[in-house]
Amino acid sequence: MNQNTDLLTLRSVSKSYGTVPVLHDIDLSIRDGEFLTVLGPSGSGKTTVLRLIGGLEPLTAGEIWLDGQEISRMPINKRPFNTVFQDYALFPHMTVSGNVGYGLSVRHIKRKEIASRVSQALELVQLGRFADRFPAQLSGGQRQRVALARALICQPRLILLDEPLAALDLELRRQMQEFLKSIQREIKTTFLFVTHDQEEAIGMADRICVMQAGHIRQLGTPHELYYKPNCEFVARFFGENNLVAGKLGPVQGEQRPIETALGRLVCSVSGQPHLKAAADGASAFAAFRPEALRLADANDGDNRFSGVIADLAFAGSSTVATIMAGADNAAQRLRLRMPSRIDGSILKSGETVSLCFAPHEGHLVLA
Amino acid sequence: MSALPRPSTIFLAAITSLVAVLLYSPLFVPIVSSFFIISHGNVDWSSPTLSTYVALAGNHDILAALRTTLIVGVCTVILSVVSGTLLALYYHGRRSGRSVLQFIIFLPFLMPPIISGLALLIFFREIGLERSLLTVVIGHTVFVLAIVYRTVLMRLQSMSRTLVEASYDLGATGWQTFWRVILPNLSSAMVGGAILAFALSFDETMITILVTGTQSTLPVRLWAMMRLGFSPDINALVALILMFTVLLCVLAARFLIPRQMATERN
Repeated sequence: MNQNTDLLTLRSVSKSYGTVPVLHDIDLSIRDGEFLTVLGPSGSGKTTVLRLIGGLEPLTAGEIWLDGQEISRMPINKRPFNTVFQDYALFPHMTVSGNVGYGLSVRHIKRKEIASRVSQALELVQLGRFADRFPAQLSGGQRQRVALARALICQPRLILLDEPLAALDLELRRQMQEFLKSIQREIKTTFLFVTHDQEEAIGMADRICVMQAGHIRQLGTPHELYYKPNCEFVARFFGENNLVAGKLGPVQGEQRPIETALGRLVCSVSGQPHLKAAADGASAFAAFRPEALRLADANDGDNRFSGVIADLAFAGSSTVATIMAGADNAAQRLRLRMPSRIDGSILKSGETVSLCFAPHEGHLVLA
Repeated sequence: MSALPRPSTIFLAAITSLVAVLLYSPLFVPIVSSFFIISHGNVDWSSPTLSTYVALAGNHDILAALRTTLIVGVCTVILSVVSGTLLALYYHGRRSGRSVLQFIIFLPFLMPPIISGLALLIFFREIGLERSLLTVVIGHTVFVLAIVYRTVLMRLQSMSRTLVEASYDLGATGWQTFWRVILPNLSSAMVGGAILAFALSFDETMITILVTGTQSTLPVRLWAMMRLGFSPDINALVALILMFTVLLCVLAARFLIPRQMATERN
C-alpha cells in the first residue's frame, strides 16, 4: 500500500462505439491506495473509463496494465476489481447477506467462511441488523452500503464507483461522502470514483482527473486543480471562477502581466514553466476566484479596477456580488464572494466600487 | 377520480354495476343450479343438494375427458414454457431477425383457430404423424407459445442490464450468472406464463377438434354432449371449473405483478 507506486496504468487507451469516438488516447496512472475521482460533465467519457477498467467494455485501442502485467483482454470475471453501480444492481431475489456473499459463493468458498466474512462486511458498512432483508425493503442509502459491502468483500485491488451517490438526496449524499472516505481509509483499498459533481470530487478525492469530450484535461490534487487549472475548461468547470481574456506581457520573475479590458493584471506563474514559456502577446485569461476579489483600499496598487455592483445574493455563510467591470462598467461580469455579516452587507446594489486582487492569488490559463 | 362531481360518480357507478350484472350473472346460473334441482323450469330452492356432484363423480366419460385435458395441459405448459423461455433469452437484445420471429410466434395466436387447426392437420398428415394426444399437445403449444414468449421477454426487458454485469463483475461465470441471477428473476414471469398457457390449453376447442385422435378433451366432450342436452351433473362440472379458473387467474396476476410493485404495495 504505497501511495507512490502505480497500481493500474492506462496507456493510449481509445474507445469508439461504432464510428463515434468517446475516448481519445487516454493515459492515466492510478496509485496504490489512493482515492482517485474522475470528474467531468455528462458525455465526457468518464463512465467509459470506468467500464473499460472494469472489463465491462472492450478497448478499441491501447493497453491496461496492472502491477506490470497487461490485462487489456482479461475477462471481467477474472479482474481483481469490483464495481459499485450507479443503480446499485443489487440482486432483488437475494437477501442482503445473499447479495454480499455472492462474490464469495461463486468462487466456491466454504459456507462458514462466507457467513463470517459477510457479517464482517456488513458490520463495516453498519448494516449488521439488515442481513435478512431484501433490497426492496431498504432505503437508498442502505442499498448503497450493501452495494459497497458486496464490492469490497472480494478484497479487490481496486473498487470502481460509478456515480454511486447520484440518486441520493443532498443530506444523505453528504453523509455517504464522509462514510465512503472513512471506509476507504479503513480498508486502504484504491477507489476510483466517477462523478459529475465537483463539490463531491473536492470533498473526497486525493487526486482528481478532469475529463472533457473524451480527453483528460488535468490530473492533480483538488488544491492544484482549484488554484492552478491548466486550461480554460478546468478553470471554468472546477469551482466558481472569474476569467478575463487578454494578451500576455513579458515575464517578470515569478509573475507575468496580462493586458485586459480591466487594464494590466499581474498574476503568479510560479512553478508553471508552460506559462513562463508562452510567447509574448499570446491569448490567455487572467483567472481569480470570487473569494480572492475584494474591495480595494488606498494602499492597493496592483490589479486595481472599478466596477458597478449589479446584484447581491445572500448565500448563508457568504454573500455573492455580481459586478460589471471594464469599459463603461459593462465589459466584464465578475463575481465577488465575501463572508456574510449579521448587520447586513457593506456593499450596496448599484454602487460603483474599486476592486482588486493580489497577484499571488491570480492565475493565468492559456486560451 | 375525486375531480368528478358527485352525481356523475353515482351515474358511473350505476352503469358499471349494470354492465357487471349483465355480463357476469349468467356465470352464476350453473353454480346455483349445481346445488338445487330444477324441474320444469322452476328451481326448487327448498332443498339444496350435492346430488349433481355425486352424479359427476360417476360420469366416467366426463372424468376421462377431464383427465385428458389435464394431461394435455401439463404437457403443453412444460413444452411452451421451456421453448418460450429459450426463444426469449435467445432473442433478447438481438436486433436482427427479432421482428420476423415475433411475427411467426404470434401468428397462430392471432389467426382464427380454425385456420391454425387446419394448417396443423394438413401438416401432420403430410409428415405422416397419426392424430393423437401428441398432435393435440403440439397444436396447443404452437397456440400458447406467444403468451409465454411475450411474458418472459417483457420480464427480461424490464430486468436491469447491470444485474448481469454485476454478477460477472463479482466473478461469476456465464453459467453461474444464468442459474443464479437471470433464471430466478424470470421465474415468476415463467410461472405466470405457465398459468396463462394452462388456462388457454384447458378450454382450447377448435384446434383440438381438428387434430385430436380418438380421445376427447373436456371442451370437445361438452361440445359433443350439447346435441343430446346436458345432464344436471354438467352444472357441477362448470361450477368446479369456474372456481378453478378464478383461482388460476388470481395466481397468475400475483406472479405477473413485478416484485418491486408488490412490495411497495405492502
